[in-house]
Amino acid sequence: MIKEKVTIKNSAGLHARPSAQLVKLASKFKSDFYIHSYGYRVNGKSILGVMTLAAESGAELELELEGPDEEEALKAIKEAIENKFGMDEE
Amino acid sequence: MPFKPHDPIPRKDKISVDYLVDKLKERVNIKIESCAAENCSTDKFITEADLHRPGLALAGYIDLFTYQRIQIVGNTETQFLSHMGDDKQLESFRNLTQFDIPVIFLTDGNELPEPLLEEARKAGIPVFSTPLETTRFMYLLRDFMEDQFAVQTMVHGSMMDVYGIGILVAGRSGIGKSEVALDLVERGHRLVADDVVMLTKKNNVLMSSATEMSKHFMEIRGLGIVDVMSMFGIRSIRYQKRLEVVLELTLWDEAQEVERTGLNHDSVNILDLDIPLIHLPITPGKNITVIAEVIAMNYLLKHYGYDPAKAFQERIKTSIGDKAKGGDMTPKRAIEYFEGDIE
Repeated sequence: MIKEKVTIKNSAGLHARPSAQLVKLASKFKSDFYIHSYGYRVNGKSILGVMTLAAESGAELELELEGPDEEEALKAIKEAIENKFGMDEE
Repeated sequence: MPFKPHDPIPRKDKISVDYLVDKLKERVNIKIESCAAENCSTDKFITEADLHRPGLALAGYIDLFTYQRIQIVGNTETQFLSHMGDDKQLESFRNLTQFDIPVIFLTDGNELPEPLLEEARKAGIPVFSTPLETTRFMYLLRDFMEDQFAVQTMVHGSMMDVYGIGILVAGRSGIGKSEVALDLVERGHRLVADDVVMLTKKNNVLMSSATEMSKHFMEIRGLGIVDVMSMFGIRSIRYQKRLEVVLELTLWDEAQEVERTGLNHDSVNILDLDIPLIHLPITPGKNITVIAEVIAMNYLLKHYGYDPAKAFQERIKTSIGDKAKGGDMTPKRAIEYFEGDIE
């Protein structure tokens, strides 16, 4: 199991579209993916779970991955968060 | 991935006295009046669910005084104080006020003499009074506090009320939990939460609810987000339900052992409570919704004292016993004599 902290860069926070991107990306991997934030621990492969966090810009999330491809998954997810999910702010 | 609950999260670390009094008036319907230092109640915090009656502290024994708890002054304490002289009374009361007490409640309509209230004001300790009897008040307050400081955890799954039985449909992402929940809603059962389920331990029972954010929304893969309450109406949802059975869906795997009799019971430990766990491998043509209904009905039957697996077991034992006594060995029909089926 690996854990790492990341910060949300999108100025509008993790609203529906970036959440969907994150969930889609995470679902490509076999590893279990959980996100910790403000006492919440939600399944990162569930769109409702991720949206429940309502993570604002600058929110710190702790990613927890466990499974055969955890390293790759973490790398890909971190990259997507860094790149603001390929979204320029609306 | 086997079903496992997440780490417990305490619901709150502390609550302000102001919040406590407001909620007790509003939600618990207790009459409460302020006697002293009400303005201090926003800065006073309670960090424990337990209550304390400061009888011994008033008598002067303060070595083990749990001053950080809510202090309840009932008939005993009030009478103890009133039996003393005025100056001694104040001295005795100072045993309390020298500590950083969050709040004092006077129960059963008891009152404190003005000099003592003045002392509380000076120490910045809010004092409230209620006409409710001490034991009754303590019971209600304790129940409220237990809820405020309850341990909680979050699980991934769909929480349903099926025939009054709280079933949590669990399993890995994409296995079809939400679809089962939707099918159950369509058949008249009620949704508590989808995807993010909050479990709270209260009075040794696990209560489930949705989060404020995700309540009564559901994700159906390929469709997106749907709002169950708007779509199916108020009768299709519930705010809270006790968790009674966990139903874990798994993909069919030849090597996996599945329960065949129902005599062995598996369980999962959530917040130190054992909840019955049923592993259900899904195969083509298997109607999980109907199975969920059967699970609920079976649970109800067992609750009313009838366990089908045990009943069958008994029947086998009797039959084996009969044979051992030299009874009839030939296969027996369920009905002794067929009357003509004439229509």
